[in-house]
Amino acid sequence: MPHNAIVVNLNLCTGCMSCEIACKQENGVSLGQYWNKVFRVGPQGTFPDIKQYWLPTMCQQCENAPCVEVCPTGASYRDENNVVLINHEVCIGCKYCMMACPYGVRSWNTDEKVVEKCTLCPQLTTLGKKPACVHNCASQCRYYGDLDDPDSDASKVLARFNESDIHVLKDEGNHPSTHYILSEKIGTWEMGD
Amino acid sequence: MGTTFTRRSFVKTAVALGAAIVTASGTHRLVEADGAYADPDTDTSAVTIVPTVCRACIAQCTVLASVRDGRVINLEGNPEGPMSQGAMCAKGLSGIQALYNPNRNKYPMVRVGERGGNEWKRLSWDDATDQIADKLMDAYNKYGPEAVFASTGGGGNPHISGPIRFMNSFGSPNNFEPGCAQCYLPRQTQARLVFGGGKDDNLSIADSNVLEFYFTDSQVQSCVLWGAGPSWSGPSMTGRAMAALRDRDQGLKTVVIDPRFTADASKADVWLPLRPGTDVALMMCWIKYIIDNVLYDADFDQKWTNLPFLVDPDTKYCLHADVIGGSSDDYVVWDDNTGSVQALPFPYDDALDAALFGTYEVNGKQCPTGYQVLKDACDEYTLDKAAEICWLDADRIEQAIHIYADAEYSTLIHGLATDQFPNSAQAALAALELECMMGHIEKPGAALQRFGCFAEENGKGAGIIPNDTFGMGCLQALITYDMLEKRLGSNEHKGFLNWQMAHIPTVLEAITTGKPYKPRIWLERSGNKLAAVGNAKSWYNALPEIDLVVHSYMYPTSFTIEAADYILPMREWLECPKPVLLMNKVFPRQEVTHLWETCDETLMWSRLAAKCAERGHDGCRRAFIKSEVAPGKSKKIGNFEVGIEDGYPWAHSEDELVGLFYNECGDYNPDIPTFDDLVEKYAETGYEWATIDEWRQYGFYKATDPSTGKPHGFGTVSGRVEPYSEITTRLGRTGFPFALCEDGCVEDLTPSSVDYEPVPYYMEPYENPADGSDYPLVMTEGRVPIYHHGTLRNVPYLREIMPTAEIWVNPKDADEYGIADGKWVKVSSRRGETYARAVVTSGICTGAVYQERFWNPELLDKNTGKNLNGSWMAENVNVLTKNDAPFSDVYGTYTLRGFQVKVEQVDGNPYDVWTEPTDFQPWMPLTGDDIAPTVEEADPWASIPSEEAE
Repeated sequence: MPHNAIVVNLNLCTGCMSCEIACKQENGVSLGQYWNKVFRVGPQGTFPDIKQYWLPTMCQQCENAPCVEVCPTGASYRDENNVVLINHEVCIGCKYCMMACPYGVRSWNTDEKVVEKCTLCPQLTTLGKKPACVHNCASQCRYYGDLDDPDSDASKVLARFNESDIHVLKDEGNHPSTHYILSEKIGTWEMGD
Repeated sequence: MGTTFTRRSFVKTAVALGAAIVTASGTHRLVEADGAYADPDTDTSAVTIVPTVCRACIAQCTVLASVRDGRVINLEGNPEGPMSQGAMCAKGLSGIQALYNPNRNKYPMVRVGERGGNEWKRLSWDDATDQIADKLMDAYNKYGPEAVFASTGGGGNPHISGPIRFMNSFGSPNNFEPGCAQCYLPRQTQARLVFGGGKDDNLSIADSNVLEFYFTDSQVQSCVLWGAGPSWSGPSMTGRAMAALRDRDQGLKTVVIDPRFTADASKADVWLPLRPGTDVALMMCWIKYIIDNVLYDADFDQKWTNLPFLVDPDTKYCLHADVIGGSSDDYVVWDDNTGSVQALPFPYDDALDAALFGTYEVNGKQCPTGYQVLKDACDEYTLDKAAEICWLDADRIEQAIHIYADAEYSTLIHGLATDQFPNSAQAALAALELECMMGHIEKPGAALQRFGCFAEENGKGAGIIPNDTFGMGCLQALITYDMLEKRLGSNEHKGFLNWQMAHIPTVLEAITTGKPYKPRIWLERSGNKLAAVGNAKSWYNALPEIDLVVHSYMYPTSFTIEAADYILPMREWLECPKPVLLMNKVFPRQEVTHLWETCDETLMWSRLAAKCAERGHDGCRRAFIKSEVAPGKSKKIGNFEVGIEDGYPWAHSEDELVGLFYNECGDYNPDIPTFDDLVEKYAETGYEWATIDEWRQYGFYKATDPSTGKPHGFGTVSGRVEPYSEITTRLGRTGFPFALCEDGCVEDLTPSSVDYEPVPYYMEPYENPADGSDYPLVMTEGRVPIYHHGTLRNVPYLREIMPTAEIWVNPKDADEYGIADGKWVKVSSRRGETYARAVVTSGICTGAVYQERFWNPELLDKNTGKNLNGSWMAENVNVLTKNDAPFSDVYGTYTLRGFQVKVEQVDGNPYDVWTEPTDFQPWMPLTGDDIAPTVEEADPWASIPSEEAE
C-alpha cells in the first residue's frame, strides 16, 4: 500500500502563498476556510542576527490518525490508497475530528456544514499529475510521492538531507507523514519532532 | 469509493454561492453558480487547455488555462516555460478572480453628476471616443497640443509604449509614469550608458534580466542582492530561479542589502539592514575597499574599461588622442612601460601597460585617470564611516564585500530600492562600477550578459518585438525638436529622454500654476494614480484644475471615482494576445477569452488616434502610415547606436496589432510566418528560435565582429564599458545620446542647470533622523509576494491573506512608541497621515519602519465607505511620501523611501476597511448571465488609410 505524502523543503520556501491560492482555486475552497495555510515562524534571535522561515500546513496524513478514530460515523476514513479522507455524505458535522486533530488543519465548511481538509488532490494524482500546491509552488520546494518508494520525488528529496534537517510536526504517537526539511542555517525547528 | 474522487465530489458548494453583490456602480448582482468548478462527473462538456503567458506582474510565467464553454475554469503553470518552469505564483493564479471580478469596467462610461459622485452612463465605444476626440481637438486648436497629457503605470497588463506613441502622434511631449524615475529608469538608463547592451541588459532581475540565473549549471558562487527581493517580486520566475540556485549542492552564497528582512534575506549569508536612503554611501565604501585592497580585476579594467583613460579635469571628458597628435578615435593613457602618455587604439595595444591610477601631465595639464577620479570621489567612505552613516557594523560590511569580491564567479543584482530617492543616479552608476571593476561582464555567473547576440549574428532571430519597455517603437519620427525642449522637467533631468517621459512634479506644477503652459486634459491608463504617485494629496488637490480626465483600466479605482469623466474598459491579461519572448523561445499569450466591451490598451490608443485623424489631426494621420514613421535615421557614434528606431504605425485591428508585435518573424522563421502559426504549432512548447547553446554564450565583446575584423567590444562610444561615465555628463550638457526627434539624434538641448557627475557622490536624505523633528522614524517600502504595484486589492483570495496594510516596527521602537503587534496605528509625515496595522518584528532595522502601498476598493462603494476619499487615504503610504525637491539631478527622482514619519497606536479600525475573509465575498467571480459576450462593432478605423494616397 502506498504511503503518499507531501514533503516541503523549508530551506527554499519563501512564504509567497502560491500554494494557498493554488489549493483554493483547485478545490474551490471558500473564503475563511483553508486546506493549506502558510505560517511565518520567527524571526528567531535578536536583531540583526535573526532567522525566519515559513511553514505551510495541511493534513499531515497521520499513520495513526486520531480524526479517523474519533469519527462516530466513519466519515473520516482511510481509503484503499492509504489516504485519510472525509466522506461528506456521511459527515454529520459533529467536529470531533477537528478537536482530535493535533494540528488544526481541518476546516469547517459553513455552507455544507461538513468538515473538509487537504485531500492530496486525488483528482489530479490519479491522472498522474501532482497536487496543485506542489505543481504551482513558486520555489518548486514542495514534493509529493510515496515515502516507501525510493524513486518518488518525496523520497528522493529526503534522501538528500541529513536526519537532523528532516522534521515532522510534534508527534504524539499519531505519526504524521508530512515531512519538512529545515536546516539550522535557515531556521531552528520549533514544532517538536 | 475513493478512486472516484473528483475535484468537488464532496463539496458541491459554489465558490460564491448566493452572495448578493453591490458594486461601485451598484448595478450587479451575482447569480448562483458554481463558477470556476464544474464537476467532471456531471459536466460532460469538454475542457480545452489553452497555453498562454501571464501578465499579472512584469514577470511572464507560462500558463495552462483550462477553458470550458468559453469560461476559464482553472490556471496552472506550464512547465515548458524556460523561466518559470511550471511554477505559478499567487498573483498569476488570481487571474480568474481578476477576470470575472464583479467590478470590472465592462463598457465605456461617461460620468453624470459631480466628480466623486460615482454616477455613470453607458456609452458605445464609438460615442465615447467621438466625444473624447472632440474635446481633444478643441483643446488642440485652442491651446496647442501640450494642453493634453497622458500617464500610464506598471501593473495590469500594460504596454507602456501606448501613451508615449499617442502623445508623439498628437504632438504633446508630456506623458508620465509613477515608476520611471522612481523605478527602473535610473538603473536601466545608466546600464545603457555604462555597459551599452540592449535595453534589457542591466542589473535588475525583476525586469527580466540577469538571465544567467535561470541556469542551475551556472558557475555563479555568490551574489549580492542590493535592494532587490527576487523571491517576492516575481515568486514563480525570479524567485523560482533563486530557489533553484540555492538548491544546488554548492548553494549560493548571498548578501542581502535591505532595511527589511525579506525572504531573500532569510536565506542569505549576510544581511545588511541599512538605514533607508543611504545606499550610495555603502556602495562608495565598497568601491574604496575594493580599490584599497586590490580586489578588482586589473586585467579586465585595463583592457576593457575606460578607467585607465586620462581625463581632462576641466571638461570632465576623457582625452582623445588628437590632443597628442594621434587619432581622435583613440583615447589617451599613461603607459607604465615607457613612462609616457600614449594613444590607446581600440581594442587595446598590447605594447602598452596602461596605468589604472595616478595623475599625469598632458600638454601642461594634470590629468587623472578615470579610476583615480573614482577613487578620489570614494576616498572618505571608509568601513567605519559607512557603518556610521548606514547604521551597520563595519566588520559585517567587510564580510559582505569579501563574499562578493573573493568569489571567482559572483555578481551584483541591483533592485528597485535606490530608484526611490534622489541619490538614484549615483546608486545606479556605483553598482555598475562595482561590476565593471570586478570584471563581472559577460562572464559566467555575471548579471550583465548579451545572450542571443551570437545567434543573431548567425542569422537567427526571435523575429518579434521583444518584451522590453519600449519594444514597439515609439513613433519618435513624429517628435519635433520643440517638443523635446517643451517636455516638462526632462530638460533639467535629461535621463527622462531615454523613456520619453516627463517629470511628474514639474507636470503638477504646470497644472497648478499654468507655467510654462497649462496641461488641461489627462488621458490616464493605469490603476489607482492616487495610490501610486508620491504625495497623493497634492494631486488630489489639483484635480479641479483639470478640464477632462479619461481613465482606462480593467476596474474602477479611487482615481476613477475622484477624477474621471470617462471610463474606457481595458482587457485583463487573459484577454490579450501577444507574442512573448522568453530567452531562446517565443510563446504566444493568447486571447483565452474576451468579455464585455473591453479593449486592448494599445488598440484603445489607436482608436483615439484614429478619431483625431478623422478630425484633421495631421500627426495622428501620419502615425498610421508606415513610411511616415520609419525613417531609419539611426547612426553610430563610436560603438553607441543612436538614432530613431524603426517605427511601427498604429494598428487598425487586433490582428494587425498582433502582426506588428510579430513583425519580422517570418523573415527569420519561415515555419511560423504569422502569430496564428505560432499559436497552432508552438503554443505549449514555445518556438525555439535558437538552441539554448546557440543562445547562451558568454563574452560577445571579445568575439570578432566579421564586419570589422576587430572584437565587438561594448555598445558604448569607446567600445569599452564606461564606469567613468563621461557620457552622463555629456547627456546633461547636450541631450546626447537620448535626444531623439524627427531631426535624428540632436546634441544641442538647453544644458541642465547642474552638471551631471561622471562618478558617484552621496546625498544624505533630505529628511533624516538627525533633523530632530517630531517624525523620528525612517520609512521604507517594498514588495509583498501577493500584490503587484496597486493591483489585485480587489481579489478575494489575496485580500483574505493580507486584508490591510501592514507597518513593520522593530520591537525596540515598538516599546519606545507604545505600539503593540496587530494594533491599528496612525502613520504621519510632513505631508499627511494614514493608517496600517502594526507588525512588531525584528525583521526591520531599528529606527526604521516598512509599509507597502495599499488602497481599499471596498471604500469606493457609497454604501459601505465613510467617505470616498477613504479608498485612497485609509492605508496609503503615498499620502506620506514626498514629491518636491530635492530631486535626482539626472533622473528627477523624488522621495518614496528614506523620509521621516511618526507612528501612534489608535483604537479600532479607523476607516472600517474590510478585515475578515468573508468580507470579500461580494468580489467573488461573476458567472452565468452576468457575463455578456463581446459584441462585434463597426470597424473604428474604416476611414483611416495605412498608406499615402497615390
